[in-house]
Amino acid sequence: MNRLDDDDRPLSPEEMLRLIEEQQSATSRRLGGDPLLTYTPWGIAWGVGFGALFLHYAYGLVPRGVALSVLFSLMVLAMAVSSFAQRSMSSQVRGEAAERGMMYGFAWLFGFAGMFALGVRLSPLLPVEETGLLWAVMSMTIVAALYIAGGAVWRVRTMFFLGAGLAVLNVVGAIAGPGVHALLMSVGAGGAFIVVGVVQRIRRRGGA
Amino acid sequence: MTAPRELDPVIHAQARLKVIATLNTLGETNQITFPGLRELLGMTAGNLSVHLGKLEEAGYVEIVKTHRGRTPTTYVALTRQGRRAFEDYTAAIRELLDLG
Repeated sequence: MNRLDDDDRPLSPEEMLRLIEEQQSATSRRLGGDPLLTYTPWGIAWGVGFGALFLHYAYGLVPRGVALSVLFSLMVLAMAVSSFAQRSMSSQVRGEAAERGMMYGFAWLFGFAGMFALGVRLSPLLPVEETGLLWAVMSMTIVAALYIAGGAVWRVRTMFFLGAGLAVLNVVGAIAGPGVHALLMSVGAGGAFIVVGVVQRIRRRGGA
Repeated sequence: MTAPRELDPVIHAQARLKVIATLNTLGETNQITFPGLRELLGMTAGNLSVHLGKLEEAGYVEIVKTHRGRTPTTYVALTRQGRRAFEDYTAAIRELLDLG
């Protein structure tokens, strides 16, 4: 009848303190979602999408329309996967945290809606080689700004620094031109997000 | 020599300490569903219910039964008293460690 015996075995103060710390960090990790599903899909989307765009600008190997469609479909997919990864656990919580997550989600929606409206309006007026750059820089501006904001909202430094790094590469690329921008986004941003997702997942597996 | 502080017997049990530490991490204004909490703790439903009952009796947790759409849902949250008890408990443990 004493089925709680094992749970109730008294521990030493050291063990109790360790138990508290372990449980707290496990909880924050679980609520933050899986890093592999949060960061890596974006890395793959940019690595492949901007890679295709670079092949178009540098060697004319891929048609521009195809490269842009690949990029934007992969980005939509990445957004879906990473928001699913965040939602699975956070849907169990209500209160301020859930409200915060919902408002943050709307920031993405409105950001991309604005970008889309401006892009559709300006694209026909621009020389064709600048059109791709317009779409690319606008979308990365939104992603960078929202990653920085996300880092601030949830106090996640990795998120903040990824966003800040992205913002710098985006500005450099915008000034340098479409080819350089695509290369920086594919290798720099894509690479960084893939590496961070994988490394954080491995670290988490390693315990602590 | 000062005598070490008494450790709160309600919290001084592994399972209940884990429950309180988890709820405390959620933050003051948040509540979690019973299944969500169970998943975070890796406890059986029966076991968690028993411990939540004891914590509720002590006034440390609040259990809210409500509906999400048509599905009945139970939310669990730490009360202000529970948060204070947890803070006192961790302070007492740190004190013990310093004395030791």
